[in-house]
Amino acid sequence: MFVSNPFSLLAEAFSPMFMQAYVVLMVAAVVAGVLFDMRHKRSAEFFARRRESARAAAQRELGAAAIATIAVETLVVDVMAAGEFDKWQRRLSHLLTAYGFIIYLVTTVVMVFGYASDPETPWAWTALWHLGALMVLAGGSWFFFALRADVAQEARAPLRLRQADIFIVGLLASSAFALVWHAAQMLDNGAGVTMLLFGLYLFSTTLLFVTVPWSKFAHMFYKPAAAFQKRLEAASGASDLPRPAEISHIRR
Amino acid sequence: MPTYVDMTRCDGCGECVNICPSDIMHIDPVYRRAYNIEPNFCWECYSCVKACPQHAIDVRGYADFAPLGHKVRVLREKEKGVISWKIRYRDGRVKEFAFPIRTTPWGSIAAPSSYDAPPADELQSQLLAHEPDALKVAALPALPARS
Repeated sequence: MFVSNPFSLLAEAFSPMFMQAYVVLMVAAVVAGVLFDMRHKRSAEFFARRRESARAAAQRELGAAAIATIAVETLVVDVMAAGEFDKWQRRLSHLLTAYGFIIYLVTTVVMVFGYASDPETPWAWTALWHLGALMVLAGGSWFFFALRADVAQEARAPLRLRQADIFIVGLLASSAFALVWHAAQMLDNGAGVTMLLFGLYLFSTTLLFVTVPWSKFAHMFYKPAAAFQKRLEAASGASDLPRPAEISHIRR
Repeated sequence: MPTYVDMTRCDGCGECVNICPSDIMHIDPVYRRAYNIEPNFCWECYSCVKACPQHAIDVRGYADFAPLGHKVRVLREKEKGVISWKIRYRDGRVKEFAFPIRTTPWGSIAAPSSYDAPPADELQSQLLAHEPDALKVAALPALPARS
């Protein structure tokens, strides 16, 4: 199962052109969704205004080299290592889900565009596709059932869904149905069952990408911008937070 | 003058939901970020402001020490046992204060649930739970029993 390409098996029923057009359509849906979201929430305007007020409150001018260093720090610490999270459980769950999603997404695109009609797909791509989906399921389920503030802090039932859950539910459903559909393909237990599971996979994946204006999908783009702004404010002296204390009062 | 949450800083961890004594800090069902559901009931106790690991919560401070146009910000440093305050007055002056809040490492105090349940006859005792051991004294004075 881990060495077979689900999309080359699907090519027996749907042409690779259909699959590629679907991927392009989903990319367009995400771009359009993010642009709509930015306009609707006026987030670009918010960040521009915040940058202006930070510039006015700055105590020192930052050079291009300092800004580049802050950009690299933001990328490495806040984006790649999810450094903003205070608790290791939330951080690990987020990293598993985020890296799993990237791997799952990239390998899907590679297999659809490069190997959709090729039954001899390199095993690295197929194995990574499975690994990505499993990482999303592990990190996402951990978050959904145990770490989500609605469950952990508000003590709500895990399956009580709200609008804020569209993103995580779409992500979990897409990964889960992808794996189950592929397992059905391999077991060859009837075209009807396989097509039903494929339909569920297609529905959940479409839900994930077309609901961007209503889901938390766009936080992938806003959060790095907010982290970068926060670091800029701290470095230029514009931060409104107190200076860190000079001495520790903890007696070990 | 109640708390408000900066949504771009909040990561929805729920620390403020846990700590709010008035039970008015909750998670927004649309954005999954914290928000104050009933500002009128805010006690301005600053518990959520101090607990927030992202420094995403702010309160407009009491008018007697920080009048309109001001800003009050808090930084809690668990590893140093310090809470620092920065007050920006509306005339531009800035004052900073740092207060030691504890001397033992964060999380080192045992929760009540980790102790054995006391025997029922302890209810007749004048001592509070874990006294006198927890106070590190041999004994505490007690009122004579009523005859």
